[in-house]
Amino acid sequence: MSSATPNAQSQEKAEGDDFEPKIIVFCCNWCSYAGADLAGVSRLQMPPHFRVIRVMCSARVDPEFVLRAFQKGVDGVLVAGCHPADCHYIGGNYRTRRRIALLRMLIQQFGFDPDRLRLEWISAGEGEKFQKTMVSFTKTIEEIGPSPMGGGD
Amino acid sequence: MRIAFEEMKADRLLTARTEHGNVAPVLLARGDEPGELRTDVPYQMANILLRVVPYLGSDKIAVVARRCDEKAIAEMSKRGLLDSGKISLIGLACDAEQVSECRCSDPCPSKVHIGECVKASPTDKVVEDLLAKSISERLEFWTAQFRKCNKCFGCTSNCPVCFCDECLLEEKTFTPEKGIPPGFAFHLIRSIHLADKCVECGECERACPADIPLLALRKMVNRDVKELFGFVSGDGETTSPLLTTLDGDSMEGDNDVC
Amino acid sequence: MSVKHVLTTCPYCGTGCNLFLTVADGRAVGVIPCKTDETSQGQLCIKGYNAHAFVHHPDRLTHPLIRKGEQLTQAGWDEALQKTVDEIKRLVAEHGPDSIMVLASAKCTNEENYIFQKLARAAIGTNNIDHCARLCHASTVAGLLQSFGSGAMTNTIPEFEDADCLLVTGSNTLEAHPLIGARMLKAMEKGAKVIVVDPRDTPLSRIATISMRQKPGTDVAWINGMINVIISEDLYDHDFVAERTSGFEELRELVKSYTPERVEEISGVPKQHLVDAARIYATADKAMIAYAMGITQHSNGTNLVRTLANLAMVTGNVGKESTGVNPLRGQCNVQGACDAGALPNLYPGYQGVEDAEVRAKFEKAWNGELQAHKGMTLTCAFNQAFTGEVKGMVIFGENPMMSDPDIGHIEAAIQKLEFLAVIDIFPTETAKLADVVLPAACYAEKDGTFTSTDRAIRVVRKAVDPPGEARPDWRIACELGRMLGNDGFEFDSPADIMNELAAVAPIYGGIDYERIDRENVRWPCPSKDHPGTKVLHAGSFKIGKGVFAIVEHTPPMEETDEDFPFILTTGRNLFHFHTGSMTRRSVKLQRESPEPYVEICSEDARQLDVLEGQSVRVSSRRGSITLAARVTDWIRPGTIFIPFHYAEAAANRLTNNALDPIAQIPEFKVCAASVEKA
Repeated sequence: MSSATPNAQSQEKAEGDDFEPKIIVFCCNWCSYAGADLAGVSRLQMPPHFRVIRVMCSARVDPEFVLRAFQKGVDGVLVAGCHPADCHYIGGNYRTRRRIALLRMLIQQFGFDPDRLRLEWISAGEGEKFQKTMVSFTKTIEEIGPSPMGGGD
Repeated sequence: MRIAFEEMKADRLLTARTEHGNVAPVLLARGDEPGELRTDVPYQMANILLRVVPYLGSDKIAVVARRCDEKAIAEMSKRGLLDSGKISLIGLACDAEQVSECRCSDPCPSKVHIGECVKASPTDKVVEDLLAKSISERLEFWTAQFRKCNKCFGCTSNCPVCFCDECLLEEKTFTPEKGIPPGFAFHLIRSIHLADKCVECGECERACPADIPLLALRKMVNRDVKELFGFVSGDGETTSPLLTTLDGDSMEGDNDVC
Repeated sequence: MSVKHVLTTCPYCGTGCNLFLTVADGRAVGVIPCKTDETSQGQLCIKGYNAHAFVHHPDRLTHPLIRKGEQLTQAGWDEALQKTVDEIKRLVAEHGPDSIMVLASAKCTNEENYIFQKLARAAIGTNNIDHCARLCHASTVAGLLQSFGSGAMTNTIPEFEDADCLLVTGSNTLEAHPLIGARMLKAMEKGAKVIVVDPRDTPLSRIATISMRQKPGTDVAWINGMINVIISEDLYDHDFVAERTSGFEELRELVKSYTPERVEEISGVPKQHLVDAARIYATADKAMIAYAMGITQHSNGTNLVRTLANLAMVTGNVGKESTGVNPLRGQCNVQGACDAGALPNLYPGYQGVEDAEVRAKFEKAWNGELQAHKGMTLTCAFNQAFTGEVKGMVIFGENPMMSDPDIGHIEAAIQKLEFLAVIDIFPTETAKLADVVLPAACYAEKDGTFTSTDRAIRVVRKAVDPPGEARPDWRIACELGRMLGNDGFEFDSPADIMNELAAVAPIYGGIDYERIDRENVRWPCPSKDHPGTKVLHAGSFKIGKGVFAIVEHTPPMEETDEDFPFILTTGRNLFHFHTGSMTRRSVKLQRESPEPYVEICSEDARQLDVLEGQSVRVSSRRGSITLAARVTDWIRPGTIFIPFHYAEAAANRLTNNALDPIAQIPEFKVCAASVEKA
């Protein structure tokens, strides 16, 4: 009977060279955003597929922000914060670390590749690290392929 | 059962009894006619307790509580929602049938007043099956399950550890008012919010008109929390690892999770 | 201070879920599902969980109001009742009893509806009594009565779970009857095949085995088409057809021309889907049909219902468990209001007013002469009010200014009335036009019974006191009856009223309060020792043999043209209920669906250059409304959908009041409309 199932939804999207991943990058105001800025000012070459959202602290990134982004169809989410012990608010990034670790487990239980979500420590001086992170994360996402959510809801 | 009033010196007793041919949750006062008390229908007493407490002033309340109720009450007290000094627990040991329905790993209350403890269910078949699936099979499974969701909020309304004043799931930013089904984020936001408090009572699964195996999802997240942080919810002391940082004891795994 | 949990019945759809209202300090503060309830099994929908939310709303009517010029001003009960009685007496004296129309309510209890119809028949002296069943399942009552001999759901809600095939048409079950939908999901889990036929994609159709999107108004064609396939492939139940039905040969002739090819041409249903659906339905061991407004609210609604009955009879799917033809009734007590006789042609228990023997029985029971001719239907009454024959109306708990088709016309009709009394819990759109408004008690504030869609008599128990001076409707109606000089209104409690209802309506013969307090009894239940009936028509039909109806496809009354190129269809969404007077005052429900919207398919939206959320003007030949566009792929191109809950953009400003000739149900589901950017 499956032949007459008009509802069988195909969630596959055309894969291959024309896949342009959609990536959201949450940057903490004090370190990573400055790092990203430095990468830009230094004219470091980066893939053009990401959008940066500036937050005051990486701990401001509620799990629901990430989940909402995935629901809306983004292919990858990167959360970037200050290095351990460098948090402007003393302990924000420790919370982020635990939270993201758990979130990665959760999306894996649901059936998302956990590598679609990454946490990275990038300081204000690490423009190059920002660039390298973006290059490697974009590559990872390209390898994983488009989000199973397709265009989102 | 009168022991509640005499031994525990409680002013009220929260339990269930036969009413109108059904089993109803009931709050008895000292001296009330008890009627036919029932323990065979798993009303989520911790949840009901939390709803009635605001109306009872300084009264002491005895509750007929299963192990999961006990754990939920501990989670509530820890967060200052209940004054544990006012609550006495009458421990109810679940019977074998109930334990197998919940695939429960922890059925025995710390002090048993009613019933006898039976053996915990060794494994949860639903969870085992899910863990055996590949990642894409899991996606397929949950997508099909969540598509049945009718957004009744039964999983939140009946949950003993779902007690925020403002619920994010009722917030349009995260769950837009676009009818049903609400999308997977609805369920995952709930999962992450419960990660450090879920006591695996299974009420969400029982209340779900779409029969989504929500208890299995809860158990899987709880396993992850245990694996990552060594934390198990349900006691009154340990603070949630999602709330602690390096002040206080550092938790195992703090240095290698990232 | 104390907290109690009062077991009662949900006031929303006709599923009849029982739930506990948590009552603290005299206020309903929450809802807990009842785990041992047969219908709900400890589960509820979002409306059920919020059943307490409107009870103490500040908008509740708390005092009687009387119109003084432009204003409705507060008055005492005596004054307001006296004015109502005086006006009724005056109109009866000047124009005869048929100048008065009484509207009963599917939101009121069985006992109250019994009193309403008794008020009209025995105290005022007219059979002009009707209620909103006219707008929803009048065609079911008429259609199934002709086909089977009984106009109710043939099977029960729990049986959905055990069916092998479910044919769901014109019902968005998961949203409109969520707990019946839950049973359907359980059946699917057990391997049942589900066929959904609906012009919109619904949450159920998206997971169905086969989903067919027909053009609105072409239902006779696809049903006849399915019968065509079933007969031509010899999949019909020979024994059942031979033993229990009449008219099969005519049916065989009729459906010959409804080949899958022709059906595809008429309805747009792909022929392969139709053939597959027919095979699945016919070869299933136990197949249930469920339908709702999508079938009944058509100008050929009665015939459409009969066509569905044909389909069930051809395959022998009647009279057994998990089979049958199952109308899903939309209001908590629309079944009961029909049972209790709030219909212009039927006394309580579906006994015809034109039958002399029956009338004699009721004249004896009610101690007075009764009118021999049928009364007016609700839809007819508004037309007659417009032309001046109906002069006065007494409306208990209905809101025709939202619920009836072509509201502009309704408003004009109401303006022409000499007297309008409205008894309600909120200042509804209709109440605002009344001469006298009386405050009523809501479901949580009175005792009584509702009859659910599967004929179960469910108990409503008083949990809190009515606000201010509000009174239960049955007390108000009894008072009116007494003041009109009739001595048949001396009741002390709803239990007394039920005893009288049981005495005059054989299907309720075995019902009494002591019994239903503990037991879930379904009518027909003729005597105290009768267990009630789950499956109707087992063994034989009430009318002997089931009758095949010979129905040809006819186009809807209004078709699209250049000026009005879209087909507009209306319905409910999950979060609101009917005219919204309760749900739109419930914070959580209102949050979930705060604004009116029109669903339009993305292709059409592109052509009109309309984006998601943009404001559009939707017009029909009767009026126009402005609301937000919701662009979706869940609706057929050329069709638009508007939920009818929103007073600020009332869908019924647009709908057509073309009537089904038999049941006089309006064609809510199809009219021609245009869409433009606002």
